[in-house]
This record gives sequence, structure tokens and C-alpha cells, in this order.
Amino acid sequence: MREITLSQAVNEALAEEMRRDETVFIIGEDVAEAGTPFKVLSGLVEEFGAQRVVDTPIAEPGFMGLAVGAAMTGTRPVVDLMFGDFIYLIMDQLCNQAAKTHYMSGGKLSVPLVLRTNLGATRRSAAQHSQSLHALVAHIPGLKVALPSSAYEAKGLMKTAIRDNNPVVIFEDKLMYNDKAPVPEEEFLIPFGQANIKREGSDITLIGTSSMVQVCEKAAEILAAEGISAEVIDPRTIVPLDEEALLKSAKKTSRVIVVDEGHQSFGITGEIASRINEKAFYHLDAPVLRMGAMDVPVPFSPALEDITVPTPQGVAENARRLMSREMIHAA
Amino acid sequence: MPHEVIMPALGMAQDTGLIVAWHKAPGDAVKTGDVLFEVETDKATMEVEAQADGFLNQVRHHAGQDVPVGEVIALIGSTAEAVETGDAPVTAAPADATALPAGHNVIMPALGMAQDTGLIVAWHKALGDAVRASDILFEVETDKATMEVEAGVDGFVAALLAEAGEAAPVGETIAVISAKKPENAVKVSRAGAPAPAAPPASVQPAPKPEAKAAEPNTPARKPSAPVRADRRILASPKARRLALEQGLDLNRLVEAGYAQPYHAADIDILKSLPAETGATVQAASRRLTAELVTDGFAAFADWAKKHAELGDASALLAGLAAGSLARDHATIAVESFGQSRCYSVPAGPLNGITRADPDIAADLHLRDLRMSPITCVALGAEEAPVLTLTRSGAGLSITLECASHHLTAAQAVALVSEFAGRMEQPLRHLL
Amino acid sequence: MLMSPAKKKSNTEDYLRMYRQMVRIRTFEDNANQLYLSAKMPGLTHMYSGEEAVAVGICEALKVTDKITSTHRGHGHCVAKGAEFKQMFCELLGKEEGYCRGKGGSMHIADQSNGNLGANAIVGGSMGIATGSAFTAKLLGRDDVTVCFFGDGATAQGLLYEVMNMAALWNLPVIYACENNGYSEYTTTAEIAAGSITARAEAFGIEAHRVDGQDVLAVNTLTESLVARARKGEGPFFIELMTYRYHGHHVGDINREYYRPKDEERDWKENKDPITLFGAYLTKEGIATAEELEAMQADVRQDAAAAVEYALAAKYPEESEVDMHVYTDVRHALA
Repeated sequence: MREITLSQAVNEALAEEMRRDETVFIIGEDVAEAGTPFKVLSGLVEEFGAQRVVDTPIAEPGFMGLAVGAAMTGTRPVVDLMFGDFIYLIMDQLCNQAAKTHYMSGGKLSVPLVLRTNLGATRRSAAQHSQSLHALVAHIPGLKVALPSSAYEAKGLMKTAIRDNNPVVIFEDKLMYNDKAPVPEEEFLIPFGQANIKREGSDITLIGTSSMVQVCEKAAEILAAEGISAEVIDPRTIVPLDEEALLKSAKKTSRVIVVDEGHQSFGITGEIASRINEKAFYHLDAPVLRMGAMDVPVPFSPALEDITVPTPQGVAENARRLMSREMIHAA
Repeated sequence: MPHEVIMPALGMAQDTGLIVAWHKAPGDAVKTGDVLFEVETDKATMEVEAQADGFLNQVRHHAGQDVPVGEVIALIGSTAEAVETGDAPVTAAPADATALPAGHNVIMPALGMAQDTGLIVAWHKALGDAVRASDILFEVETDKATMEVEAGVDGFVAALLAEAGEAAPVGETIAVISAKKPENAVKVSRAGAPAPAAPPASVQPAPKPEAKAAEPNTPARKPSAPVRADRRILASPKARRLALEQGLDLNRLVEAGYAQPYHAADIDILKSLPAETGATVQAASRRLTAELVTDGFAAFADWAKKHAELGDASALLAGLAAGSLARDHATIAVESFGQSRCYSVPAGPLNGITRADPDIAADLHLRDLRMSPITCVALGAEEAPVLTLTRSGAGLSITLECASHHLTAAQAVALVSEFAGRMEQPLRHLL
Repeated sequence: MLMSPAKKKSNTEDYLRMYRQMVRIRTFEDNANQLYLSAKMPGLTHMYSGEEAVAVGICEALKVTDKITSTHRGHGHCVAKGAEFKQMFCELLGKEEGYCRGKGGSMHIADQSNGNLGANAIVGGSMGIATGSAFTAKLLGRDDVTVCFFGDGATAQGLLYEVMNMAALWNLPVIYACENNGYSEYTTTAEIAAGSITARAEAFGIEAHRVDGQDVLAVNTLTESLVARARKGEGPFFIELMTYRYHGHHVGDINREYYRPKDEERDWKENKDPITLFGAYLTKEGIATAEELEAMQADVRQDAAAAVEYALAAKYPEESEVDMHVYTDVRHALA
């Protein structure tokens, strides 16, 4: 199968959906001729025109609000938010308007909108361009949240998101845009709420999101060499969450580490760990561990930034602790 | 009988009284009308007088303590520091707290998840012995395991309220450790029979290896894995669930010295633990004794010899013993006059009994000491349960000794009861 | 200025409908106020009384397919855009038959069938939505116009300037209708708005008008012309409508002399009431007699009373509705 980059995969998904449905349009800063700073959208304005690949002023709340109204009245906007960190700027439009419109109208209005943005540190971009803020939006009922972990996932999830009648936020890892993966030529969609078992294992479950799936897979390699069989699961979407698949694996291996690049406190890792604790407690042989980004603003210096995010070595080390007879936080 | 000093009800809605001060010290002579102590209620402080002459003993609550109204707070006895058993027979029920020496009450601990009683396997201290808090006081067996229990306080063994081989409800006082060397120590059995007042010197607890003999190559094994002070076991939810599902007791891992916390993998170790190792057989022994006022066996043996052509009295004993085991078939080894014979006993009438190969492991040993001057045995369990017959006046004494894995407590009780019944009325067996 | 001949059957019919719609709004609010005061209505509500000519003058210039976005003071817009009393009162009371099945309430009534994209409880919150609605019309080649209602207080929100900028850049068919009732909650507009309000729009090159919001004909005539131009791609437009709210910021805002003198309220009610003014015009022009107008008012009062009675007796939504409509494709989000 051919291999394409995550960036190309997103581009293909958008192009295919825009060809299929003329109500789909892209709106955001420097999305047209510039094709975004990451060049993900290059070529789309040439095919679909400036009417459907709309460059906006630098006014995130404005174009987000505009997209909500457009979605409510019959189009399917794909909003391009250049950096995930800017999500704070659009919170009212995303969380008070988009997320609640369907509910507050008793089901009469809907907001079929995709918010494309990114996450991920270690790009030396400092604290305002490196955050992974998906937990913020996952907290808000009415929004769906997808976290593609490869080019294949990015394409399939984007196409599903565009066809979804709810507001969907997709966070791409900005460090993975050039990562290649096999992606079929023929059309495919990846349904929401269906976790992907990336690697089967029997001793411990590593649940990873976005680029942390790769981290977990590398950790599983390290562990395999030591005789520890790790299962790696990618939930793909955290809202909806494939709780059943996660619980099934947790019950199978009885040890779980949840790895996510959002801040560790009050985040995705805690939510997933808590659900496993609630629903698979009697199958657990060790505490469910959370591994998120360090609870500090992302520092600029490479020497500091690199230690704030989970690494394969760190995941493997925690897996060893769980596999050993160590008494973890059991005083 | 000693006079009880009770916390009086002074106010209308008074539940408790605060002892402000004692005016008499333990051991002091008191006369009726002497101020014994001061008590404070919500309304006022008042002095409480003695209602009897004697000596103030067993002061159970001290100044500063709030005591429920109606509760005994001291005794006035006829002698200073005496344990007032009064005219009551020494067989007084151990529950009669007023008859007990003052001191720290040692209770039957709750060791298992659903444990109601504990069987006292052995006392490691005798009446009057000095003990330290960390000394092993006794061994207790629950439904799943045997473990040693420490004294908990320094002092002297002032009362033993249950005998080895007896079960006591969890939470019940089974011994008292007094601060001073007791003058009138109490020893009773729960059955109510006075325990033989054995001189302390003769009650040497058999030196027993600690119940820790398991494969030494298990890495998690530590010679003295700490037992948590609160006796809680640290185990993963999965390990607990597996243990519960498989009827396994995590306590056995603790006793065997495995380090906590326990994980699912430890359940396999738990399952592989020998039922009891050779060294622990003794430690986990049961001893039950039955006393028969009349011995019906001699007459029966005569009758059987004459009318049923069953001349081997040992075979008859084997038949009665096997019948008491409630098994379809049993091999019984009978020792009599220094000889051991093995019998194969099928279910049914006594005439099916045959001699068996002495090398076959017997299901039950029967030690016939009726012709011996020995009246009481405590030889410990062997590879199989041992029933010992000794003479007891005109009657018979039957002692069962076995390890806990041989027979459950209920099975042991049933065996002795059945066998005692058969020895008393052997014809019953034939019916 | 030429009226669109296709739309108009006769002025008489239009005028009487405008009068009736203003009476309906006033009557609706009087009933809502009573429901609140008699503790029959949960939550809080904001009365539109006094501003009727704005909503009616504008909405009478719109087609059913044209869109509006509304505000927390939104009952008037909702009635003017064609909503029914029964479903509106049911919504105010949190009943299942309400426009939003009781999930929105007074501040969130949406009536999609009449092009009302919903009231918004975030001041200025709907400015993006209105602009987006206009964007849809342009993208899909529809001739819809969207009117964005907001108050003078909302001109302090930055979102307005972001979306006016884009609407102007892209010539979107949207009309920003600023209802200047003189007060931003409990503060006079002079204290919160520097400079000119219309000049704010003009800075983006948006044609802006200021109109007497108590004169329903003036409002309607202006809007008719702007809507027609917007349909042709000449938008966006901005209208500042000078009006007055008779009640406080919300129904519980009774003691308000600290920010607004009673004399001022009396003056507006006695001399500038949009219904009284238009009624006088209709009788003077011989379009209707005072008796006919009184009969119309009585008729509307009866309608409203019946709707209130119906709504009070209507059933609440089942508890099982609580997790419905969270997502379009999941019947019960928590099942």
C-alpha cells in the first residue's frame, strides 16, 4: 500500500469531502494560498476556489462564530485553528454556542462543524504554541473529540468528522505532519467511538492517544524484549469513548497505563483511569497509572521541554514497575 | 461475692458520669459511707460513698474517664487485690467478668474474612508466666489457617479462659494479663470443666517451629515479612477476587512469609502451598477429648466373640472407628500392647473387616491404651488422625489428635462424637 | 421609495398586521411578567415592552426564510418572526411542548420554522452566528438575509468588530440591528459607549442608519429597503434603533431609580409608546377605528390568556429527555 504523510492524508480527506459535498468549506487564517503554516491545505484553494477555502482576518472568535452560524443554516464548515492554544480565544463560540445549540433548541437546530486544530509539544514553540488542550473540550457535552494517531487515522477520522452532524474537534499532532503511514487509495472512513487495538498483548495495557500511541508502541517493543507482553490501544476518539474496548483489555491484562499528552492533572488520563477503576476494579492487579504532560507551562528550552512529555522509556519503566511486585503508592 | 461499685445516675437525662477523682486507691480498705470517688454530671459534682465494707479492687475506670451510667467501675472485695471468686466453684463460666483477675483482656482475634470463632491450638504461656508484649501467647486456628498471636502487653498470665483444642467466639476474652504477678490465677476451660491445675513448670509449650516452612527459592519470600499492625492484607483487587472465587485464604501467604502486596500471580503460589508442611502438622493440630462414664466395648467384644465369631477385638475397634469416619472404605491402624495391625474396613457389618498391608498409609490410627496406666495423652498429630483410648475410672477417655488439614473442626467433633457413641453402645453400630 | 409589489397586497392589511404584532408582543410580555411575579415561571426573564416597533418593523420586512438571531430580551423578536403564543409560553414554563421542549427557556427560544436561529444569553453571542448565516446564503447562492439583533450594551463586545469586518470584506447579506434602549443592564449607554455607535460600523465601510425605534413605519420602511439591497449583495448594513425598555433589565429589577428616573419612564410611556403612536396614526388615517383596535387588543388578550392557561396545564418533559439532544446521532447520550 502507498504511504503518505499525515499532512497529505488530511488534505486528501478534505478534498474528497469537498468534492462529494458542496456545502463543505474551509475557513481560517492563511488557509488558502498559504495552505496554513504547516502546508496541510496546499492546493485546495486552487481546486475549490476562495469561496470555499476562505482566508480570514486574524479573528478566531469571529470566524469560529461565523462558522457556527453557517453550520446552523446548511453548510459544513471546517474551521482551521492554526494552533490548539488559540482554543481559549474561541471558547464562547465553541462551548457556549456550538456545543449547546442542538440541546438548547430541543433538537431543532444542529451544528455540523469540524474544528481542525493541533496539539503537541517538543517543537520548541514555548508555552503558547505547544499545548495539548483536548481535555478542555472533551469536558463539554455536545462536542465530539477525535485524536488521530497516524496518517491513516487522520484521513478516516476527518472524513467521518465532516459527515457528522455535531460539532467535532480534531486535534492533529503538529509533530506528525510529515510522518508517513500506509493509507489506501480507495475511500474509507473510520467510525467514531471504536478503539483500535494497535498491538495485542497479555501482561499490560498501554492506552495511548494521538502521538502517544507511537510512544506506547515503542514502549511495547522495549518491553517485548524483556518478556513483557504489552497491549497497545488507541481510542481514536475520546468523545465518544470506546469504553467497552478499554475495559475488555484492562480485564484481560489487569494492568493499565494511560498515556496522553495533555497535562496529567484533571485530564484525559485521569478520566480513562477512573472509568477503568470504576468498571474493572476487581480485575485490576495494580493501580491504573496516568502519564500525561508535566503540570507546567511548556518550557522553551529543549533541555526542559523534552522532559515534560511521556517517552517510550518512561512508559516502559512504569510498565516494569507495574509488572514487578513493587508496592505502588500503597503505603 | 464482691460488691460492685456502679456509676450512679444522678441527673434526669444523664447518660454518663465523669470520674473527677478517686478518694481511695486500689487495695485500700474501705468502710460503708467512705467517700469512694467524685463524679461530675452535666449539672454538678458529687461524692459517691462506698456501700460495703472491704477492699477496693479492680478499679476499671480512672479519674478523667466518662463512664456510662450503670457500669461497674470497681469492686469492693474481702481481701486486697484479691480475685474474688467468692464461693463460686472454680468452674464458673469465664464470661463472669467479675471473677476474673484485673488486667489486659486478651481476646480471640478476628483473622479471616468470615470467621466467627477461632480454635485455640496451643497456649505458649502457662498460668503465672511472665510475658512480654511481643511474646507469642497462643496459636489460633481459623477455618483457613493457623497463626501465632502475641500477648500485646507486658505482664503475667493471670487467667486462661479456654483450653487448647477449644474454640472461642471472635472478640471473646480468652486470657487476662495482669500487671502484677497474680496470686489467684484462674484457669478454666470453656466447656466449664476445671482445668487440671498443672504446675506452671510442667506446662512447657512444645517448642514449635514457626509456621514458615515453604520452598526457600521463592523470591518474594522473606523470612519475616511484616504483618500489618491492623492485620489488613495488602492485595490487588484481582488477587482478592481470585482468592475469594477459589476459596483461598490470603492469610496463608502472610503466614508463609510472602511479602505484601499480593497480586494475581501470588494466587498460584497460594494454591501451591502445601496443605501443611511436616513441620507445621504439630502446630496446626487439633485435640479433642471425650469422657465416657461407661465403657460398653468389653461386653460387646465378649458378645461378638461368642455369637458372631468375631474374635479379634482390635478388628472390632477398627470397625467402630471406621464407622465413625463416615467413609465408604477406610484403612485403620490399631496399636495395642505395642503391636500395630492394619485393617481394611468396608462399609457395612463388622464381618467384612480384613487385615491389610501394614505399609499402607492408614486413614486413622487407633491407640488402645486401656490397659495402660496412662490416663491422658497429648502426643500431637501424626501423618493421620490418632484416636487414643485411655481408661478413666469405670469409663473411658477418647482423645483425638490430628492436624487441621486432616479433618475440619466439624469433622473432628463428629468423629469423636460418633466414636464415643459407638464405644458406649457398640450395638448401635450394628443397627 | 418603492415597496416590493409582489409582497404587498395592501397597506391596510400590512399596517393592521404590524399593529396586531406589536399588541401581541406587549400582551405576551404582560402575561410573562405576571407569570414571573406570581412565581409560576421559573428562572428569570427580560421584558421587551416598549421596543415593539423595532422587532415588528424589521421582521415585517423579512420573509419566513430570512433569518434572525435574537438576544436575552428576545420574546419580541420571536413573536415578530411568527412564533405562536402556546409554544412560547410552554417554553417559558419549561414544558415539553415548548419550542425547545423546555430545554432553552426564556433566554433561548429558537423557532427554526420561522427562521429564528435562537435567542442568546451571552451578550453579543449571536453576532458570529448571524454573520455565518449570511455566509451560508452567499456560499449556497440563496437570497436569504439575516438580521442580527443586539443591544447597545453588546457593542462593547469585540466579536462585533471581528464579524463586521468579515461581513464587510465579503459583502455578506446581514443587517446588524442595534436596539439602543439607552441602558446597558443597569448603566446608561453614555457611560459604556464612547463616540458614535453608527460610526463603529462606518469604520468598516458599512452603511449605517439611525432610526426612531418607536416609529414602526419608519423602521419597516428603512428595513425593507436595506433587505432588498442586501439580497442583491449590497450588504452588510447597520441600523441603530433608538428605543426604550419600559421594565428594568430583568423582571426583578424593580428599584431602578438609581440609574433611571421615573419621570423618564413616564415620558416614554405617555408620549413615545410605539403602539399608541401607531394606533393614533391608523385612526387618523382612517385605516381602523379606535373600537376596532380595542377589539383587536381584546382578541389578542384572550389568545394570550388561553395560551397561558394551556401552558400552565401542559406536561413537563419526561426525565428521560434529560440526555436527549446532546448529540444529533445519539438518542440518549448517557445510555
